[in-house]
Amino acid sequence: MATFINFKALVQLLLLPCLLLCSSIAYNSSSVKATMHTNNWAVLVCTSRFWFNYRHMANTLSLYRTVKRLGIPDERIILMLADDMACNTRNKYPAQVFNNENHRLNLYGDNVEVDYRGYEVTVENFLRVLTGRHETAVPRSKRLLSDEGSHILLYMTGHGGDEFLKFQDSEELQSHDLADAVKQMKEKHRFKELLIMVDTCQAATLFNQLQSPGVLAIGSSMKGENSYSHHLDSDVGVSVVDRFTYYTLAFFERLNIYDNASLSSLFSSYNPSTLMSTAYYRRDLYQRRLEEVPVTNFFGSVMETIHTDAAYKALSRKISDRSESQISLDQSIHREERRMLININVCDEIHDVSTEGQEDDSKCPWSAFYRKMQKIENVDSLVNYGLVAMLPFLVFSTWLFH
Amino acid sequence: MALLQRPFFVLLLVLTHQFMQYWIAFGSVNEEGQKQEEEFNEELLLKPLPDRKVLAHFHFQSSAPPSTSNGRHHHIFPKAISQLVQKFRVKEMELSFTQGRWNYESWGGFDPIPSSNAKPPGVELWAVFDVPQHQIDASWQNLTHTLSGLFCASINFLESTTTYSAPEWSFPPASGNLRYGTLPREAVCTENLTPWLKLLPCRDKAGIAVLLDRPSIYRGFYHSQRLHLTSTGSGSEGMVSGIILEQTLTVVLQPNSQRAGMAYASERHIQPSWSLTSIFGKQVSGTCVLAKSSNVYLLLDRGLVAELEHLHKENEKSAENGFTSQNFWTKPSFELSADPDRIFIEENSLHSKGSSVLYKFQVEKYSESEPFDLSLTWKIPVVWLSQQAPLHASRFLMGSGNERGAIAISLKSTQLSEGFMGANADDERCDLQVNVFQVVPWYVKVYFHSLQVFVNQQPKAISDIIEKIHVSPSKDKVSPGVMEMVLKLPCKVNSAALTIEFDKGFLHIDEYPPDANQGFDIPSAIISFPNFHASMIFLKDDSVNKSPLLSKFQEKSPVMSYTEALLVPLTTPDFSMPYNVITITCTVFALYFGSLLNVLRRRVAEEERFLKEKAAKKTGRLSLLLSKLSAKLRGAWNEGSLRVS
Repeated sequence: MATFINFKALVQLLLLPCLLLCSSIAYNSSSVKATMHTNNWAVLVCTSRFWFNYRHMANTLSLYRTVKRLGIPDERIILMLADDMACNTRNKYPAQVFNNENHRLNLYGDNVEVDYRGYEVTVENFLRVLTGRHETAVPRSKRLLSDEGSHILLYMTGHGGDEFLKFQDSEELQSHDLADAVKQMKEKHRFKELLIMVDTCQAATLFNQLQSPGVLAIGSSMKGENSYSHHLDSDVGVSVVDRFTYYTLAFFERLNIYDNASLSSLFSSYNPSTLMSTAYYRRDLYQRRLEEVPVTNFFGSVMETIHTDAAYKALSRKISDRSESQISLDQSIHREERRMLININVCDEIHDVSTEGQEDDSKCPWSAFYRKMQKIENVDSLVNYGLVAMLPFLVFSTWLFH
Repeated sequence: MALLQRPFFVLLLVLTHQFMQYWIAFGSVNEEGQKQEEEFNEELLLKPLPDRKVLAHFHFQSSAPPSTSNGRHHHIFPKAISQLVQKFRVKEMELSFTQGRWNYESWGGFDPIPSSNAKPPGVELWAVFDVPQHQIDASWQNLTHTLSGLFCASINFLESTTTYSAPEWSFPPASGNLRYGTLPREAVCTENLTPWLKLLPCRDKAGIAVLLDRPSIYRGFYHSQRLHLTSTGSGSEGMVSGIILEQTLTVVLQPNSQRAGMAYASERHIQPSWSLTSIFGKQVSGTCVLAKSSNVYLLLDRGLVAELEHLHKENEKSAENGFTSQNFWTKPSFELSADPDRIFIEENSLHSKGSSVLYKFQVEKYSESEPFDLSLTWKIPVVWLSQQAPLHASRFLMGSGNERGAIAISLKSTQLSEGFMGANADDERCDLQVNVFQVVPWYVKVYFHSLQVFVNQQPKAISDIIEKIHVSPSKDKVSPGVMEMVLKLPCKVNSAALTIEFDKGFLHIDEYPPDANQGFDIPSAIISFPNFHASMIFLKDDSVNKSPLLSKFQEKSPVMSYTEALLVPLTTPDFSMPYNVITITCTVFALYFGSLLNVLRRRVAEEERFLKEKAAKKTGRLSLLLSKLSAKLRGAWNEGSLRVS
């Protein structure tokens, strides 16, 4: 009998940590998801130096023009250009950059703001921008001041290889570095959703190490494939645009700021035979269905504002359920899900205030369970018991495989 | 007693009354001072250059008077600049972005324009701070970061102590609180011009700034975009200091002459005709409404005027008609499309070469329907030379190889300037004072003892020529080497040269820039002539003083010129070498240890047996596990039973 009770207690103890873990995960994810999409940022990076890499700068500037046209203001775009092509002495057209032979469109325009240029475009500065770890003197225009409601577009182009991207022909950004930076951004609530778009050779390999939720990645080519330039401009003397970017732009040129084209339509617009490489999408970290996400979620700009009664006091999490009624969400499906999550938060808050509040148990099973668990034992002893409980398993398994 | 007191009381009354009057008067003056409005002036100066090019000099000046209000509200003055001045307590600052090199020989070196607007290539920044000595470096570093954000340039590289210096006395606005830094290789393009234009109240949407069409500006031979600010000290505590912000853009452009006459040999020397539309591709359609004055000037320099006068006289002689009193500028040898509103003639008796002429055009007379498009058409060929600085300075590298070399600064007398020297050339002890300021990065290790001076190709003792010298040697990876000198050269000097030897240092592998093979830049040296002042004084009445550009010309600034920036090739490592070494070493280690371990650990007999077993039963992993489990259980049971028995 005593052994039986012990066994029961043991099972219970074993289950407890698992449940706790689950509930905490649910809690975390809910707090992130419940924030609204309030702003858009874009980080556009050209990592190549030297004149013959003109096309990389043209790629980046084309994207710059597109996102500006679709509504992201200059102060929310971090543009990094590793060299000066527009006023390069080799440029026959000073202060102009073209991405097409027909020279119909001057990408450099009259109003371009380059935040990092020349020698400043280094892996260090790139990671500093992403993670927000700057020196105090660095001006605001050089910082990515995104928050937990931000959708960020990260576009990179240059010369890459298997799990790396070259910066200025002297440094490399490894896929691990990128994944770590993104992870840190996630931890710091620096983005809600992140779209990484990379136009390099073997671009897909750069995403291998990513593991943060809310990240969507598009690469121009698979492992072992090259990304090719589109065409050569004989007046400028070099290739002016890469294929992947060219077809991306072709897609966006048809759109205006109010269009509702979805990300999946963008993805399906890439044709491997015209790209001469296979565009790769990594969507396993992204929760929403791509058919329902408009491209303007990343390439355009929303200016949703949250009304707060008191300055700086209210957390967006607490606000969200109050403002829910007046927010037009992206999708109705999403709204359902969100409401449920918000409710969980509400329960949590109630729990914080009064430990005996039981009326919401039906709505929030996780937190009710969590509360029960807390009533029975305190957490430290639970963990200890859990560890002790692992011992028999260990003994059993060693005996088995000996 | 009462009688005695009374006059005293009266006296007191009178005195207080007087004092009050003064007080009131003073107060009203003070109030008037406060009511000074923020001002903005826009001006453009055009000047034909001897080598068939045209100089366009844009001058925008915004000023904010001192005010007592806590936290200023600006109407016209850019807020970003005033915040910067307040935050870093900048007394005076100049930032310039330049591309190309000012051609001192053909574009002149004596006028106010080259001496204050010819700048070294890349970025040059200097600032004087109004803070205690120990805070200057911190202020400088923060200032560089702010400016880099403001002007989209990597000015923040001037933050490192290896890139900036503190000249003691050779740099003109010399003071202990000055910091000076240059970035010779900084690119200058649209992204720098746009924020600069955004400081103007009308940006480039109205007024003279409309002309600033990016492709035509950057197609030019030289362009220098400058921002100079002076904060007029307020004195009292509560006052916010007034600021004068002067923004200039100097471009040298080649008018594309499409004259058919160019083909004829006789017209080869005729200067190209140009108009605002042909240079900039745009025209001015009215003023910026916020500007107090909006003027365009056409300047004919002394050499050109003298030449034209000469031609005019010759013409008269050949014609032999009686009209002698007619001046050339009323019947000139060129045609202007618009009538000037006013003609200024320089009042300067010092120069024997004659005086320059300035035509003034007021833009406010023109409108959208009748835009202002000044054009100049030459009727006769004219050749002239610009006025030169007393000495023409150039700098070059000597020596070969990657180990050592020498820097030479050569000063050559410009024959044209003899006229100026003539005044005191008779004097036996006539001296020409030359200040030299040179900053050398630490990896170019200059040996100051190796300084040699040559005058007229003859080596001279240093003490004879160098009157004053200040040297701060470079410290590796900490500070650059700074050399400041005052040279006293005889007036009749033909040429002078300074040479100094250096060793090339090594950088750490991480410190090389990505394009290290291109070489490393040594910033331009500054040669200034403190006894010569570049100033042009036009009519001294008040109407001129209202024009910031002309009053700028009247200022007595020493003649200054910049030498070329030098490119020093340094030994660059094979950047892939460390990688190769690591790869090879790792491969060798792996091969060695791998094979060794293999030999030591391998049990051939066991492997063979294992393989046989494996061949015997090719079962899955799960079944293997189950069979193991059953075997164990059976074994245990057997053991138990054995024990029981």
